[in-house]
Parts: sequence; structure tokens; C-alpha cells
Amino acid sequence: MLLLGIVLVATAGAGAYRAQAPERRVIRVTAERFAFTPSRIVVEAGEAIELRLTSDDTAHGFRIQGTDISIVIPKRGLPETTVTFTAPAPGRYTFECTRMCGAGHNFMRGELVVRPRRDGARDR
Amino acid sequence: MAIGLGALPTDVAAQTYPSTGPISGYMDFHFNKPESADGSLDFHRFVLILTHSFSPRIRFVGELELEHAFVEGLEESGEVELEQAYVDFLLTRSFNIRAGMLLVPMGIINERHEPPVFHGVERPFVDTVIIPSTWFDTGAGVHGEVGRGLRYRAYAMAPLNALEFSADEGIREGRQKGSKSNVRSVAFAARTEYVGVPNLTLGASVYHGRSGFNVPRLHVPVRVVDVDARYKLRRFETRGQVAHVSIGDAAALNDAVQRITGISPNIARGLRGFYGEASYRVWAAGPSKDLVSFFRYENFDTQFRMPPGFVPLKEFDRDAFVFGVTYFPDPDVAVKADFVLQRNQSGFVKAPNSFNVGLGWWF
Repeated sequence: MLLLGIVLVATAGAGAYRAQAPERRVIRVTAERFAFTPSRIVVEAGEAIELRLTSDDTAHGFRIQGTDISIVIPKRGLPETTVTFTAPAPGRYTFECTRMCGAGHNFMRGELVVRPRRDGARDR
Repeated sequence: MAIGLGALPTDVAAQTYPSTGPISGYMDFHFNKPESADGSLDFHRFVLILTHSFSPRIRFVGELELEHAFVEGLEESGEVELEQAYVDFLLTRSFNIRAGMLLVPMGIINERHEPPVFHGVERPFVDTVIIPSTWFDTGAGVHGEVGRGLRYRAYAMAPLNALEFSADEGIREGRQKGSKSNVRSVAFAARTEYVGVPNLTLGASVYHGRSGFNVPRLHVPVRVVDVDARYKLRRFETRGQVAHVSIGDAAALNDAVQRITGISPNIARGLRGFYGEASYRVWAAGPSKDLVSFFRYENFDTQFRMPPGFVPLKEFDRDAFVFGVTYFPDPDVAVKADFVLQRNQSGFVKAPNSFNVGLGWWF
């Protein structure tokens, strides 16, 4: 398992981390039985991404398959959780709820689509 | 809380397989006080959910339910049901395969029935006597999502048993529930949902199956269609649903049942129900300060269209006005109270009003 620069920090620490990463694209994702909205996220390779995740009901899991991103989205009314990363090589990455949330739990999946950079720069 | 990653790794996921998840479930505890009758306390549902992942792509989900706390052989005294037990083969976002004991993909409630996700102590009437929630049976099919939030599910399943249909509860007692289900003919159920716009869900479902396997020379085709919608705008939320059931060969079915039992069941050839619900979060200050008031109007008629020569029983043409509150001390715990005012079109049989209190939770 290849781990690349994982930093798990408290909220205060996250603010400091964000300050070092300019031009980050913020994408808000809402989780609710049994869907993520949006369920399809399109980014460019190498793009700095910040996912801000909230739940409208119970606690949900959020994992991007093939990566080490796997977190819990707190229940409704609790502060959002944030995931920051640099978009990887072009491809399709499935994200899913990992915390059993009800009868339709296995439907709760989405897709991170990473497209080649339009400016022709090499993917990081 | 925040997690920062310099870049996404492209190696395999950290989780190891196989892995068995923790037990989840939900519970429903009710106090029901019908007008002109004693109140009752009922531990309505005790549901345990088990999961197991054989691999990232092959997963099992099982849901075992005990209804009314005690089992004595007949449903009136309680019931143990295997509501779900399936294996998912998760192939791609747009195409996956599921087989086992499945929930029929129909309406708002049947696949989404955990107590904190609907208002009212009891499930809507339309989702009980028109769409017979919880409606489940054995089968196999496909599901997936395409584009920006267009989802589908399509299953081949065991059909309903027409011999158990009735005037007051329609097709509800016809569920075979996966217990040596007769599959002389196969039923098909499909649903599509659009979830591509935040806070909006649009759904449409259809079911078709021949249900006459216990009735000689009759097919009794049953078709159920539904359209439904849910929408949220800040503290306001609304949902609505329309469902229609058509039963073929209804006249011959009534005759056949009368020959067997001696009593005509007065089964309709058409059942119809619809409801609209509005709710407002009057207290929205986070967990423990979370209170919703709601109002729901329902119209449901299990004698909507009768076969030639049969007269509808008007007490089964019903309206319900349901209003109350749901308090969430935690987003997974719902304390509910409501009044149900029922009306019907009969001049002789009165529909009972009721006061209900419930405690439901998800874990």
C-alpha cells in the first residue's frame, strides 16, 4: 500500500494546511440515504481539490476506492469534514459509503472522473 | 475535521478482504390509541442488518426482522422475516448485479424505511395498502447509475399470489416473501430515480407479474406503477407519491376464490393511492435541538375500479389527515407523535381516528 503524504489533523491544523495550498478547487458533497450529491465529480489531473462533506441524516462513510481516503462524514448538524488531495492520473475512481446506513447502502456510490489536463502539462 | 493528502495513491485500497461489518439495524416502538378502543404498546420492529464483503466487488447484505416482538405462528402474533439477503456483484458504476432476497424497488418507503427517514409513527397508508411495504421476495437483477444522477434498478422476482388478495388490503397479503415462492411465472420490477439536482429526488417504478399460479386457468396479471418526488429547501421539505395497481382477471379471480372459500373477496381490478406531505424544521440548531412538524394528506382506495358485476365497498375508499411532530435528540433517534384523522365514503362503517407516539432509532 502506497501512502503519499497523508496528514490527519484537527480542524485548527487543517486551516494551516489549507493556507499552504493556494487555488484549491472546493467541491461540496452532501451525503443522504442513499446518495451522494453530486455523485459524479469531474476534475483534472494534478488539480488541487478540497472536498467538503456533510450529511443530511446519519453518519456516512466516504472512501475513494484504490486510494487511502476513507473517512466518516458526521451526522446532520455537525461540522463538515474536509478532504484535500491532488487529483491523480486520469481515470475513473469509485467513491462509496463505507458505513452501513440502511436498506439502500450499496447504492450509495459515486465516481471521481479525472481527465487529462487541458493545458498539456504533465500529470503529477 | 480535515484530512489532507498530497496526492492520491494509485495502489489498492487500505482495507483488507474479506471483512465483516458491525451489526447495524433499526427499532420501532409504538403507542397506538385508536378512537373508541384501548391503547396498546407495541415493539413493532426489531431489525438487525449484517454485512460482509468478500472482496471490494462482492458484498453481502442481510436484514432480519422481528415484528411485534413475539412469534406464535401467525402474523397477528408477530413475525420473523428475512427482508433482505443478497449478494451484490459491483462491477461498474453503471452496471451491477444483485441476487437473493430483494426489496421490490417501488415508491419512497419500500427501500427507504428506517424510522428516522419518514414522519409519522406508522408508515404512510399508501405505502402499506397500495404499495405493500415492506415488499420483498427472491430474485435477481441489475442496478446502476448513469450520467449525472440517473439511477436504475431492474429485477426479475417471484410473483404475488393472487389467492391472498383482499378488498381492504389489496395485494398486500399476496406477498410470497421468499418462502418457497412459486415461480411458475416470473415478475419484473424496475425503478428509475433522478438524483442529479441537489435536494431533489424524482422516482418512477413499475412492477408486472402474473399472480394466478394457484388459480386454475387464470393468469391474474398484476401491474403496479408509481411516481414520486422529494424536495428540500432549507428547513422546508415536501414529498409526494401516486401509485396505481391493476389486477387482471379480477372477476374470474373473485369467482375462483368464492368457490374455494365460500366467500367472495370483492377484489378490485384497480387500486389507487396518493399522498402529499409537507414538513418544516421548526428547531434546527443541530443534534438534540432538532424538531420537525409535518402534515400529510393521503387518499387510498382499494376498491377504486371494480370488475363488472361487483360493487365497491365504500369503507375502503379512504382519506387520512396525519399531522404531528418528530423530535430528533440525535439524527439517528426519532421521537414521534401524531394524530391520524381518517374518513371514508361509507355511510355505515366509520374509519377510526388515532393518536400515536413512537420511538424509533437507527444504529
